[in-house]
Amino acid sequence: MTEVRTRRTGPARMRLTGVGRRYGPVGPWVLRGVDLEVPAGALLRISGANGSGKSTLLRLLAGIGAPSEGRITGRPRTAYVPERFPSALPFTAIGYLTHLGRVHGLPGPVAADRATAWLARFGAEEHAGTQLRELSKGTSQKVAVSQALLAEPELLVLDEAWTGLDAEARAELDLAVGELTSTGARVVYVDHDPRRLAGTVDAAHRVEGTALVPDTTRPPEPAPQVTVLARARAGTPLPAALPEGTHAEVDAAGTARFTVAAAHSDTLLRTLLHADPPWHVRAVREPVADANTPEDMRR
Amino acid sequence: MTALVRYQSALLLRSQRWLPPVLLYAVLVAVGARAGDPVLDSLGYASAALLPVAAWLARICATQEPPAARQVTAAAAGPARAQLAALLTASGGAVALGVAGNALVVAMSDWRNTSHQVRVDPLPMVVAALLAVLVCASVGTAVGTLCTWPLLRSPGWSVTLTALLALLAVVTVGSPARAVVWGLVSGSRTGAVPVLVLPLVGALGVAAAAAGAACVLSSRRA
Repeated sequence: MTEVRTRRTGPARMRLTGVGRRYGPVGPWVLRGVDLEVPAGALLRISGANGSGKSTLLRLLAGIGAPSEGRITGRPRTAYVPERFPSALPFTAIGYLTHLGRVHGLPGPVAADRATAWLARFGAEEHAGTQLRELSKGTSQKVAVSQALLAEPELLVLDEAWTGLDAEARAELDLAVGELTSTGARVVYVDHDPRRLAGTVDAAHRVEGTALVPDTTRPPEPAPQVTVLARARAGTPLPAALPEGTHAEVDAAGTARFTVAAAHSDTLLRTLLHADPPWHVRAVREPVADANTPEDMRR
Repeated sequence: MTALVRYQSALLLRSQRWLPPVLLYAVLVAVGARAGDPVLDSLGYASAALLPVAAWLARICATQEPPAARQVTAAAAGPARAQLAALLTASGGAVALGVAGNALVVAMSDWRNTSHQVRVDPLPMVVAALLAVLVCASVGTAVGTLCTWPLLRSPGWSVTLTALLALLAVVTVGSPARAVVWGLVSGSRTGAVPVLVLPLVGALGVAAAAAGAACVLSSRRA
């Protein structure tokens, strides 16, 4: 085995050296020559196109798959959250979590207590006694996330773990990730939303081809935006003192569409109403908190 | 490992996938061993019947977790340990089933040789029955392990190959399972109970080799 599994606690150095992975002895390389250091307390983001090998890399990091070449050393106690958690297990939510808590090395009663606490934190405590197969996709995902967090792992690997969670649970997972890294645990994650945890990421990497390269693309403006539609007499110029970061476009009919950070929306409205000649505000549209969450609409 | 085996056992028992192989074993024993039959003959038959059942259980346990759940378990405990726990669960189940089956056979059979004249010594008989269970459960687990993920990746051939290998393991000269089954059946002619330890060593070796290969490959083929 090329992989070394350490169970020691504390700030061991976790490192990938020349790691490559392919499926089968003659299959094409999915990843090759990956060097990566995962320091204690680090939050690492992995990005890449669909099917680029992000998940393969996460499974190598989590120790689920062994590298076909190269070495992974110093991997600590690990927990993994898959993107889609299966409901085809014959357990209740609390039963599964207690089993997994024991597998993570906790005594049964401690595992059950922590399972209850995490389900409650994600707003799923009323489903503790429900069979997994009867849970909605979102609640299933809460069970998958609780499974990893109740273990208080030293390395947490999240493969689009936010997908399917409601807004409150996503925020709670963001918080939990912050709590883990502040205690020295490492968190590595993939998420389709580039703003996810953008402010706290220590390093970002992108899978390109079979290589892992530093990801230098800046995440888009994280602040939620408000759209204001306003009209003025034809030919009226835009007010001079618009708040910082306001984006304005005027269409042929003389309707202007202003987009501004939610924090500055009142200032924008005040400026428009007090402008001379005045602007007539037709509509104010509040944005959806997270545009990439069709799951929420269905709930 | 205790927690893993407990998890895998709960998974097996609650999923009811254990039911078909257990029914197969019950039918085989019920058809082949009757009340009043010579005990060593029936023990040999029941032990041979255990082998394909153990193989079936091993195939069930090796793949009973959905892939994402397997990944979760593998990250928590290591893929090799997770795989080993599944195989230990299967072999433990097969041993429990075999002990129950052979106990039933001992209880209802005639403790004499084939011609019902020579009395069979009870203590060696019980030891030989247990040895036969351990050997056939181990070889069966090895067969099942060889015929499923991660050693065999195409599920299409899995069932055919399992049945074929299980049959060969019972009849091929040199197989530990054939040695104990043959020992019981031929011992029945004279009434002398053969206590064979060497086949047990061989069977455990075969099972360990198959399980070891499965554990190593579980992370390479994940």
